[in-house]
Amino acid sequence: MPKNYILIELDSVTKIYNQGKANEVTALFQVSLQIEQQTMVCLKGSSGSGKSTLLSIIGCIFPPTKGRAVIAGRPLSRLPDRFLTIHRRECIGFIFQQFNLLPALSVIDNITLPLFPLGVPPGERKKRARRLTEMLSISHRENFPAGQISGGELQRVAIARALINDPPIILADEPTAHLDSRLSLEFLDILEHLRATGKTIVIASHDPLVTEHRSINRIVEVKDGRVHVP
Amino acid sequence: MRQFIEKNFNILDYALTSLWRRKFKNISVMVVFALVIFLLASFQMVTSALTKTAANSLTQAPDITVQKMSAGRQEAIPLAYLEKLKGIFGIRTVVPRIWGYYFDEKNLANYTVLGLETWEMPTGNELNLTLAEGRFPQKNETGLVVLGHAVHQALDLGDRKVLSFFRPDLELQSFKVAGIFSQNLEILTADLIVMNLEDARQIFTIPGDHVTDLCVYVGNPVEINTIGKKIAALLPGTRVLTRPQILKTYQMIFSWRSGFASVCLLSALAAFAILAWGKASGLAPEERREIAILKILGWETADVLVIRFWESFVVSLLAFILGCTLAYIHVVFFEATLFSPVLLGWSIIHPKLQLIPDIKFADLLLIFCYSVLPYMAATVIPAWRCAIVRADSAMHN
Repeated sequence: MPKNYILIELDSVTKIYNQGKANEVTALFQVSLQIEQQTMVCLKGSSGSGKSTLLSIIGCIFPPTKGRAVIAGRPLSRLPDRFLTIHRRECIGFIFQQFNLLPALSVIDNITLPLFPLGVPPGERKKRARRLTEMLSISHRENFPAGQISGGELQRVAIARALINDPPIILADEPTAHLDSRLSLEFLDILEHLRATGKTIVIASHDPLVTEHRSINRIVEVKDGRVHVP
Repeated sequence: MRQFIEKNFNILDYALTSLWRRKFKNISVMVVFALVIFLLASFQMVTSALTKTAANSLTQAPDITVQKMSAGRQEAIPLAYLEKLKGIFGIRTVVPRIWGYYFDEKNLANYTVLGLETWEMPTGNELNLTLAEGRFPQKNETGLVVLGHAVHQALDLGDRKVLSFFRPDLELQSFKVAGIFSQNLEILTADLIVMNLEDARQIFTIPGDHVTDLCVYVGNPVEINTIGKKIAALLPGTRVLTRPQILKTYQMIFSWRSGFASVCLLSALAAFAILAWGKASGLAPEERREIAILKILGWETADVLVIRFWESFVVSLLAFILGCTLAYIHVVFFEATLFSPVLLGWSIIHPKLQLIPDIKFADLLLIFCYSVLPYMAATVIPAWRCAIVRADSAMHN
């Protein structure tokens, strides 16, 4: 893949929730956006601006109502739900606002969750997870339940889980909302390192610490369901 | 293919871990379910064991029993009928018999007294095999009895060998214990006292030219029913009972009682299925969140359904195994204590059962179909409702 390869391409994308019903809501309207490989993009906007919807379309959670979306070379618009899921697990790694780990599962089990439906055998799952826990300096917490580790460690576990499939795209939804500034900066440093290794990273955030960070290559402002590219 | 198998192993692995994580909830469901299966399986095992025991016991019974009836009640049959029967081709031998009930005032129990000429019976020699100790009285040996195990205990004989009965004229008649029946046949011999025909005649003061019934043995077992019909035609006013008919009656009694009890238990099973439905459909917020996380991480709706399938299957299968094992222990080691009053009710002295369940694959399959399948069916729709949780709900916590 060439370095300036367009990995995420949205063309006049509109997303309408509850279409045709009394509670119909247009979350995104005529959004066009191109994101090149190995860039770190921040989707900036206030609550309800449409950031999460945009992130969901990029993350292959649902297709747009109208328009064309091509993620990692595959057009999503008419893709059935099953194939969206398969494409998502192959190409997308998610990091959530509150990390969304399962507290009763061990760190290593949380990290390997995306590998279960891929049919990766247990030994291989652990091997891959160990590589990541060592890289992210959490190998000493491998067998701890996720509910018993610190915020900084949780964040690293979430990153490890997003990387376990080695996806080309990492999506992060308000990842620093529950972190102090030191952990937030540490988190952004890790993402910067990942970008340097070839990953394309899209962060939805309105935290100035993120939007003003040196690692961000590009800021996309989302407001009232429309996109403003400075 | 290999990936498909690995994937399903992974999902099974996840389902088992998930069950263990919610162990208190799942164990409590399993225990209640196992109790319902235990009740169903106990009935099934007791019924099949009783039927088998009865069938085993009836191997020593006469092929045909002839009784005289008057006004719908049984009365003594003249020995002269014996000669008439000998004219029917196919009859091997006819043995007269006297039987009746002896009331024991001390123990407030009725014993069944049977007077037989065992040496006349074609299976006379084999009869001794039904005894735990001793032998049957031989020709011209009077004053000897063979007792059922429960009678021996009720009379508290211990090592004593002599016992007495009151005749209707209140004279005491003494007997010596010649043998005791094996406990394996207790279902039919618990309250039984066997003696010589003449001794029984004395006990019940039955005239010398009468007995209570005639036991007919035929040469070819296939002809039992045909010969039965011939006897009925030859001797109007008699009741002709064939061995297959008696066995069928036992089966009907046990099956009717078991069926009645099973219907009562099925309502308990239905109540449990409703409970299972309620439990499974009320998805806790943590479960909803977990499924949303799995789906956003690339698990398909079908994968979540498979997790739920394995969870239900493991819970119900373990409950099935536990329930059936408990039922086996209950029937074999505790003599089906809970159900013997329902299933055994024709004798004052309740037999002390030594039941060995005749476990057939078909019976286990029937219990499986009564229990595991309804449970799985009751959890299918809640499982589907659980599996269609939207992946994007994980984005909004």
